[in-house]
Amino acid sequence: MQQRKIILGVAASDAHAVANHLIAHALRGIGYTVVNLGTCTPVEEFAEACREHPDAEAVVIGSLNGHIHEDLRDLAATKAEGAIRCPVIVGGNLSVGSKKDPAALERLYRLGVDRIVNDPAALPAVLDELRATRPVAEPLLAVS
Amino acid sequence: MTSKIVLLGADRAGEAPHSVPGAESLPPLEESVAYVRALGKPTAAQVLQDARESGRVAIQPRCGVGGHEEMKALLRDLEAQAAPDILTLTIDAHTRLKRFEQALRTLNRDPRDLNGYPLVTHGWQRGRDLNESVAAPLEIRHGSPDARALFDVSVASGITSFEGGGISYNLPYSKAVPIAESLAAWEDVDRVCGRLAELGLIIDRELFGTLTAVLVPPSISLAISVVEAVLAARAGVRCISVAYPQSGHLVQDVAALRTIPLLARRYLPEGVQVHAVFHEFMGVFPRGRGHAEDLIFYGALVARLGGASKLITKTYQEAYGIPDTRANVEGLRLASRANSPLLDFVAVDADRVAEEQQWILAEVADIVEPLLEQPDLKAAVAQALERGTLDIPFSASRYAKSEIIPKRDAEGAIRYLSAGSLPLSRRALRRNDELLRRSEAGGADPGLGSLLADLTGDINYFLTLFGESDREGTS
Repeated sequence: MQQRKIILGVAASDAHAVANHLIAHALRGIGYTVVNLGTCTPVEEFAEACREHPDAEAVVIGSLNGHIHEDLRDLAATKAEGAIRCPVIVGGNLSVGSKKDPAALERLYRLGVDRIVNDPAALPAVLDELRATRPVAEPLLAVS
Repeated sequence: MTSKIVLLGADRAGEAPHSVPGAESLPPLEESVAYVRALGKPTAAQVLQDARESGRVAIQPRCGVGGHEEMKALLRDLEAQAAPDILTLTIDAHTRLKRFEQALRTLNRDPRDLNGYPLVTHGWQRGRDLNESVAAPLEIRHGSPDARALFDVSVASGITSFEGGGISYNLPYSKAVPIAESLAAWEDVDRVCGRLAELGLIIDRELFGTLTAVLVPPSISLAISVVEAVLAARAGVRCISVAYPQSGHLVQDVAALRTIPLLARRYLPEGVQVHAVFHEFMGVFPRGRGHAEDLIFYGALVARLGGASKLITKTYQEAYGIPDTRANVEGLRLASRANSPLLDFVAVDADRVAEEQQWILAEVADIVEPLLEQPDLKAAVAQALERGTLDIPFSASRYAKSEIIPKRDAEGAIRYLSAGSLPLSRRALRRNDELLRRSEAGGADPGLGSLLADLTGDINYFLTLFGESDREGTS
């Protein structure tokens, strides 16, 4: 049976390692292969990992320092080039300050984020849902 | 000082970036050995030996600023006001990563933008100037996976203690430096220590057992240090300081410190001097000055009870960033109070410490002995890190699997919630399980959400203890 695989990492300007390692640990515990790129990962490194692992179901990016918008500035262009084809999930502490701003989340969707997950415990269900609703024809097979 | 100052002219900022500034002008090792002898101060190794023999804990701060005169003033102020046994040059982040040109540019623009002293850029003559300005020996503290250029300048500066190691200065600090590279670079450093020992100068090589500073189980810290110490001793190092970070649990910390001489006897050749060094709590520090000072004094008492040769201090400003001189002085003075002869009545449950020690020894043996049997230890270490049979929690580097999940038990001691692929015995794994289950109400497998919350609680252990826990975690 083929193992389910995800690419995991923390946004480029962010060195918070604990949640990253715990999420990797939890997903491995339920059978995922986790390609963990760790802390301080720029968008181009996520894209590189997508090229190396075309079977990855999703890219999961954590951010705790409030700089996610700046860190993901190149995401839309990277997706448009086709360098990241799988869904991008973002979670963590997504805007600076204690008040959460709906406009900030909207900006993330415009940058090319597919899902925003506030509770890491919800990740497995979100991954299942994305897998169930992905396009039937795998565009990856045509190009790779 | 000579009038020709290496590398300060703005005209040199555009030089080819590959050259190590000042490298061509380094004096031969023999000259540096003679310089240290004529310097009129003890080496760090001598200070550590004296501390051990007199039964007191040597005290040392962290300190480093970018400008030369500012650094000199800082060292002199700390010495005049707190008289630490050993002083530190904390090195800036550019130099740690061999970005000497950036260090130079920043130095010329505004030295205050550097988070430490760029010794390679300032050059060895200025290193000697710092050395001559205080009576205490100096140690270089940094975080470089490849510290060869920094070490050469350090030796030429007559500095007799140098922190780091091929594992402990790679995995917590670098994301993508192959472990074979950092091990080879540190072997070069250790070989030079061996040559210097032959010439009569003992360099104290301190290993950074603190690692990522987040909930590091004692057997992981000590296992990594044993491996680095064996490699260092084989390369010729004659004085090794094994640093262990305060977990916060009295019995566990005293046991870990008292295990260091036992590990030395078991795994290191005779003739290698080994010292236990205690790092005051390296995790999330309380903000209230009184709380922070409680923790600083408690740490210093633990170092005394554990028989450490040296203590690296913290300050009441730890929660806010790099401390000012005043706070650094206060931290040193407070820590040194724990050396008071009045405190002989402070004791720790010897039976509990002995029991904990046996478990630490057994866990370290499980981890290191399969490696030490291999003919090529460096290759064995790289392979073990790849497989997870040697591992650290919360690694910054991809070259460790980081499958270990630590957790505090009901008493606050750090245990393995998951030991990953570490080759721990069934007995040891069972004990870790039992100690952690005892701390949970239901004993059920926690979900990811509650695991994150629990770990955040463990990381913020002292905030909770002091009633400061409404603050967000910083992990």
